[in-house]
Amino acid sequence: MGGVSGPRLTPPLSAQAGRGLGERPVIAARALTKTFRAHGRAIHAVRGVDLAVAAGEAVGIVGESGCGKTTTARMLLRLEEPTSGAITFEGADITHLRGGALRRFRSRAQLVFQNPFDALNPRFTILRTLKEPLRNFGIPAHEHAARIDEAMQRVRLAPASAWLNRRPHELSGGQLQRVVLARALIPHPRLIVADEPVSMLDVSVRAGILNLLRDARDALGLSAIYISHDLALIRYVCERTLVMYLGRVVEEGRTTDIIADPRHPYTRALIAAVPVPRVDQDRAPLPIRGALSDAPPTDTGCAFRDRCPEAFARCMTEAPLLRTIGNGRAVACHRGDA
Amino acid sequence: MTLLAVRDLVVTYRTGAGPMRAVDGAMLDVPAGTIVGLVGESGCGKSTLGRALMGVLPSAGQIASGSIAFEGRELTALPERERRALRWRRMSFVPQTAMNALDPVQRLRAQMLEVLRARGGLHGAAARARAEELFRMVGIDPARLADYPHQFSGGMRQRASIALALALDPVLVIADEPVTALDVIVQRQVLDLLRGLQARLGLAIILVTHDIAVVAYACDRVAVMYAGRVVESGPAREVLERPLHPYTMGLTHAFPDVHGGDEALVPIEGAPPSLLHPPPGCRFAPRCPFAVDRCRAEAPALAPRGVDHDVACWRAEDAVALRQRAAEPATWAA
Repeated sequence: MGGVSGPRLTPPLSAQAGRGLGERPVIAARALTKTFRAHGRAIHAVRGVDLAVAAGEAVGIVGESGCGKTTTARMLLRLEEPTSGAITFEGADITHLRGGALRRFRSRAQLVFQNPFDALNPRFTILRTLKEPLRNFGIPAHEHAARIDEAMQRVRLAPASAWLNRRPHELSGGQLQRVVLARALIPHPRLIVADEPVSMLDVSVRAGILNLLRDARDALGLSAIYISHDLALIRYVCERTLVMYLGRVVEEGRTTDIIADPRHPYTRALIAAVPVPRVDQDRAPLPIRGALSDAPPTDTGCAFRDRCPEAFARCMTEAPLLRTIGNGRAVACHRGDA
Repeated sequence: MTLLAVRDLVVTYRTGAGPMRAVDGAMLDVPAGTIVGLVGESGCGKSTLGRALMGVLPSAGQIASGSIAFEGRELTALPERERRALRWRRMSFVPQTAMNALDPVQRLRAQMLEVLRARGGLHGAAARARAEELFRMVGIDPARLADYPHQFSGGMRQRASIALALALDPVLVIADEPVTALDVIVQRQVLDLLRGLQARLGLAIILVTHDIAVVAYACDRVAVMYAGRVVESGPAREVLERPLHPYTMGLTHAFPDVHGGDEALVPIEGAPPSLLHPPPGCRFAPRCPFAVDRCRAEAPALAPRGVDHDVACWRAEDAVALRQRAAEPATWAA
């Protein structure tokens, strides 16, 4: 099994396509908002997120637990009802789809589960696991064998016949994750959404799965959204990235630009925190104070202000808007040089 | 000075399919006051080794042979009563999930006082003062001793769990994947806390992890485990920059580097062997692109190669050339 990609191709400049200057985005969200109510209290999980993913583009959403990245992804897939905002898929509004139309959308937008050990029914053979989406999405039976072969080839579990009669416990974590990916690819989606796709896998097999995801996207022209707290991983698979903090997008741009020149103080801390596999590295204290739980309880001002080493008077009273700063980048920070 | 020396340690688990040698001849040295990374993939025996050192193996597990010398005493020969006297006082344990160390229905103060009383014989005002001191030491406001664990964030719970481990001033802390479940920022803060405690208290720490970047950031030394054995060990810089074992070489290319170039990541194809039926010879041979006949027939022992750098590989003398080949993705493509 190879799983080795060649050098990175120049990605489509999605920041343009995604903004409607080029072709129509595959999926787009406007002012996406989710408010949960718990014990009479409103929890603003996602606050007005705008996002667009072009054909063949991979976009990362990065942030810590509780930043709203998973809720955003679940709303995009219609697994979670937005409190407000709108989602379009291939140009059509899908915010309130029901019944057959929703099922058709689901076949086109697939979720890759985080934990392959939980994602597959332990009693089902791999064949049955892969047939399920084909049946659910009404693919004619005479196409099933070819679709299964194709998907298994794509994830380099070939020949398929060697794997189809096995059950999950007979497979390693990396092999299971390949099956999970095959199951997502089998309905021929336009979009895959992967939430921490390798966090449960051993290091030596992670690279293989990441390479498969990259290869599948290049070969099929898939659009992809990756959710992670790890910018090193996002950088490997996504040309564009949104950084989320407490429900809001605080920075957006090409991944390499963001890493080379982060503008939001939170992004700077996030990058500084990523462990690098080299002994010589910066061990200075992180440019961030406190923890996520120290976030200000009120709605006034910037949500990051109490942890920000650079906050000034305006940050206490006025929430910064996400403003474009050129070159496909945007940042939500009051500092003039941000 | 060597605080802990492990020699040829074998730990077996009873399983339905016969005894499984989860740790099979492990060698490990922990000098006083150093952080030693114990790195490897799931199922390589690193957590089992950590638990065996602490004397907290699950009931199906037992030390079958080998030696654990700690502060000059042979732990495997020690009666349980004396073993218990060392536990928490001289060496302590931080589990992967902080919730495993914390009681969800008790306030943190009650838990700290209980530990200080039961394990250390500390009572009253002295115990309360020590609990507050410990919370300050791990960077939590002592006022939060009045909280329940569920009121803490994941990072704070891990800090509280570290405070419990430090309660009786141990010289060695064994931390089992202490940052794996945490987001990068909190992960970094906990690693900085451990490094700070090492410096301030002269603490030795065994940091069990699957993440070579965590080793690079926080550890002075590293022991790489594969399929129940330590296959390479030495100073972290030496092992990560001049790896001698092909498995270590592979690991160093499998990691994305946030500041790295455009080169593709290189997976190590295949999976570790079953420990019920390990292959003869070197256990990495089935996945090793450099394996020769001898590797498949005869198991290499961990042996010194270079100053303070040990490796278990028949091809160690070719390491410089192999390192170059290991950097090529084609080398690892099966």
